[in-house]
Amino acid sequence: MAEDITPILEVENLDISRGSELVVKNASFKIFKGEYVGMIGPNGGGKTTLLLGILGVLKPDSGIIKMFGTDARTFDQWERVAYVSQNAVNFDSSFPMTVREMVSLGRVGRNNLGRKLSAEDWKAVDEHIVLLGLEDVANKRIGELSGGQKQRVFVAKALVRGPELLLLDEPIAGVDPTVQEAFYKKLSDLNIQRKLTIVIVSHDMAAVFCRMSKVICVSREVNVSEINEDFEPTELLRKAYGEHFHFVFHKHECRGDFHSE
Amino acid sequence: MSAGGISIASDITWLGIFGYRFFQNALLGGTLAAAACAWVGVFLILRRESMLGDGVAHTAFGGIALGLLLGISPLLAALAVSIVAVLGIAYMKKKGLANSDSAIAVIMAMGFALGLIIISLAGGFNVELFSYLFGSILTIGTEDLLIVSALALVTLAFLGTFYKELMSMTFDEEAARMTGIPVQAMAVVFNILVATTIVVSIKVIGIILVTALMIIPGLTALQLKLSFRRTVTAAVGFGVLATVLGLILSSLYSIATSGVIVFTAVAMFAFIATYRRLG
Repeated sequence: MAEDITPILEVENLDISRGSELVVKNASFKIFKGEYVGMIGPNGGGKTTLLLGILGVLKPDSGIIKMFGTDARTFDQWERVAYVSQNAVNFDSSFPMTVREMVSLGRVGRNNLGRKLSAEDWKAVDEHIVLLGLEDVANKRIGELSGGQKQRVFVAKALVRGPELLLLDEPIAGVDPTVQEAFYKKLSDLNIQRKLTIVIVSHDMAAVFCRMSKVICVSREVNVSEINEDFEPTELLRKAYGEHFHFVFHKHECRGDFHSE
Repeated sequence: MSAGGISIASDITWLGIFGYRFFQNALLGGTLAAAACAWVGVFLILRRESMLGDGVAHTAFGGIALGLLLGISPLLAALAVSIVAVLGIAYMKKKGLANSDSAIAVIMAMGFALGLIIISLAGGFNVELFSYLFGSILTIGTEDLLIVSALALVTLAFLGTFYKELMSMTFDEEAARMTGIPVQAMAVVFNILVATTIVVSIKVIGIILVTALMIIPGLTALQLKLSFRRTVTAAVGFGVLATVLGLILSSLYSIATSGVIVFTAVAMFAFIATYRRLG
């Protein structure tokens, strides 16, 4: 999958603490353009902390983060990165905003400060509303949507900016399996069609192992593995979830429709 | 018949009142202030800072007293004190010294206390102070009209220019920060504009009732469950309508302007809230 020699994201010996507790220990990995990366691990294991560290929201204790080859501390092109937080959908449902307005916020940034959104911006907004299948609710208020629809609104908002790296923190928890599967399929398509690099925190191991090219397993310590034909997840999972964890998986058992060529 | 010290003919009609110079002045200052107030108010409600306006307004009382004592424009003195107050509240919140409510309570008490001390030292300027406590838009002078109009226009221009950034920040400040919006600077400017808006509306509605002009129109608009843009538009519409109706009624029937404005605004809120629940 790796096409460019410079990784889109490079993390080296990263330690991040929250309060006095070391939450992420010695993380090192590289993510290249076009990779579709799953981030798994037990709850409280440090997945969100690692993402927030990468985004510069949390300050690492030590280690290096490079975004598109530049030290994250001096990196100033954050519009190339989009992030959907775990809590995105937990907003005040009485907030007066339509789906179209919400998605349009994705086009708001330092490049058009104090200016109206252009016709081109609105065109992109409407395209992404269609892309995420939200055209029927475009003028509805976001508080009136179902859980799955809300999540797609936030993904549309993240994508409308045209980012090169999309970071999603458990965007589809609490949504029924059919909706989840359709969502992972949509991301696979975007990954292939746009060469969009995606890092997604997920508890759905079948989706991660079948659809994605790399897995980052976080439980304080961070282990990374390519997912290829020879991939055998047991050891990786036992490091994170404990010795008694049992998970049977064979890559060739993924059904054909997982490979959205 | 007299309205706030102005004599008008007793057979004057609803339309006829618009021919009077004092009414035209009041209308200009009042509608601009009401529009700025309502727009700022929508953001305050959504940021759950409805009481900020009240706190800063009471602090402005100290500024008014200071202005009267020093013989400078009370509105400009109030503006300076209000800006210090609103930034003080933001600072206390940011540094974790107090949460929003408590920070407002502290600053509000301090500003009001300052006013009381100055008044007692100066031996009292009751009549003028009274006009600031309860508003006196019908007797607004040229200098004050200019100050009110200019500040309201600056506020409206900022809100219009940074409409989408403010919408983004109000929904999710952290997400807005990540898109490169200078959230901190924008928040400081917004806070300063809360102060200017309050100073503007002191002349219209007075220190005691200023929150009404900020919060009730927005609250009424939110009942309608509209988009963000329409909510802001509706809030401004309700604020302006309440002010115009209030000005007309108070001029014609010689009733306290601020009282009538608030009453009209509350009546609109009650009507729409009831309508939404029944319809």
